[in-house]
Amino acid sequence: MLELKNLDSGYDFLQVLWGVSFEVESGEFIALIGPNGAGKSTTLRTIAGLIKPMGGDIIFNGKSIKNTPPHLISRMGISYVSEALNLFTDMSVEENLMLGAYAVKERETQLETLDYIFELFPRLEERKDQLAGTMSGGERKMLAIARGMMSNPKLMLVDEPSLGLQPNLTYDVFEALLKLRKQGVTILLVEQNVNATLDITDRAYILEQGKIVMSGPSQEMKANEHVRNAYLGI
Amino acid sequence: MATKTSERPKISVDLITRMKDNLPVVLVSIFSIILFILIGIKGGPPQIFNIIVTGGMWALLATGLALVFGVMNIPHFAHGESFMVGAYVAYFVFTPLNQFFLSTGSKLLIYSGPFIAIIAAGLVGSVLGIIIEKLVFAPLRHRTKEGWIMNAFLLTVGLSFILTNGTNLVLGPNFRGIPRYFDVKPVEIMGAFIAVDRIVAAGIAIVTIGILWFFLRRTKTGRAIRAVSQDETGAQLVGIDLDFIQTLTFSLATAMAAISGASLLFMFQAYPTVGVTPLYFSWYVVMLVGLGNIAGAIVGGFIVALLQSGTQLFIGLSWQSVVPTIVMILVLILAPSGIFGSEVKGIQEQ
Repeated sequence: MLELKNLDSGYDFLQVLWGVSFEVESGEFIALIGPNGAGKSTTLRTIAGLIKPMGGDIIFNGKSIKNTPPHLISRMGISYVSEALNLFTDMSVEENLMLGAYAVKERETQLETLDYIFELFPRLEERKDQLAGTMSGGERKMLAIARGMMSNPKLMLVDEPSLGLQPNLTYDVFEALLKLRKQGVTILLVEQNVNATLDITDRAYILEQGKIVMSGPSQEMKANEHVRNAYLGI
Repeated sequence: MATKTSERPKISVDLITRMKDNLPVVLVSIFSIILFILIGIKGGPPQIFNIIVTGGMWALLATGLALVFGVMNIPHFAHGESFMVGAYVAYFVFTPLNQFFLSTGSKLLIYSGPFIAIIAAGLVGSVLGIIIEKLVFAPLRHRTKEGWIMNAFLLTVGLSFILTNGTNLVLGPNFRGIPRYFDVKPVEIMGAFIAVDRIVAAGIAIVTIGILWFFLRRTKTGRAIRAVSQDETGAQLVGIDLDFIQTLTFSLATAMAAISGASLLFMFQAYPTVGVTPLYFSWYVVMLVGLGNIAGAIVGGFIVALLQSGTQLFIGLSWQSVVPTIVMILVLILAPSGIFGSEVKGIQEQ
């Protein structure tokens, strides 16, 4: 479904990614793990089109998307839930969600998805008239993920959903991702909480200093010596 | 407790917290109301109507400025030239049209003339907006990495020079005006006689603002405009085409300025530098309320009109630019982000 081929990327004079290659198959739940500054967010931002790659290629459903502007990538079915969330803080929860379905033409489909999302996150329905900017951190993450789902994406890129959340809220967010996964949405998850991430994902890629150093099924990775030492602290 | 708060009407909760948070807003509101009552007592209905006409027009112009700043981060100093273009278009459409309509003798045609002229001005304005955006700002935006606000500001100043002097070159510095749009007797409202032109201008301002408000709040594209002004990246991530929204915004703002230029043709006339006064006053408004704050710009338009009218009545006509300027300086010293503040992306970033 998604394939990165020798991707080089970065900001102006600072190259962050050096020949990153990996593949995500349809229906998979993939983790991208690595230390701070390894280039995990840069990878997601490049796939979403917010950063133009310096070299290599990104193939989505057989088509190269490396020169596609972000709004068209979003319309092709890739939904990026950024670390900064990028919510519309001066708008209500419902308006945020409806804007998530901006590219969906039929109003029927929009409302159906909205109902489904409210079923999935009842908390958002309770707060649908509240301004997004006045919600708590956990609720905002939920809203960002929910907004990302409103376009019925084929692939979701989720960036550090547990960042800044207390543990029980992190659990809620992971639960939401697992629900999504059951719906058949392909997910590429970037996370700091390596232990929990390896528990819920199918496969994992380890990114260090802008290069993929290791990959494999999540359970195997959990048993791996290097991963245990560097990320799990065992 | 939590359920109780969520059941309470949202507006009243918002209002109370906002009043507590925003002392300047409360003070300005009280001051405006007192001033309004004083003007009402001294000047009577004509003055009040004056406030509605000028306030509505400043609001129309300032909303355009607020939109352009909020969505595109452009401090637009060529906004007065859009007003000027509107005035010229209205003049050149209205004069021959009116003559032709008068010769037919049909009242319906004669009364529809001004509206045709004003609508034509709006259409020309929106096309001009698209041309300017595509020709000037879009290329710069795609190349700029930093210093956008400053670069954009300089561009608008240059644009203003070109448009003013270009008009001067082609059409000359002559004043082109009309005595009135509607050749009918003034209407009596509460014992005062008010020209139909003013009533129509006030109506146009209110209707245009109303339509814009509905568009921004209730339609998908309007929401997309607000989304871009609140979070550009977020807007791109949900599939909003930035280029389209920015061109549309600029076109809307230009059209609104052109409409106000056209509806005030009977007051201002058309000449190359006619845009200067409206430009300054609409900048007073946006600085007073906070750059990029659209709702604030509407209220601010009327506050500035109140100030002008109050100055005229109580201090003297020649002070009517001085007092708003003093108020603006005070606002910049005491509440630099404007009395209503603004949450525009970009101000903090750049």
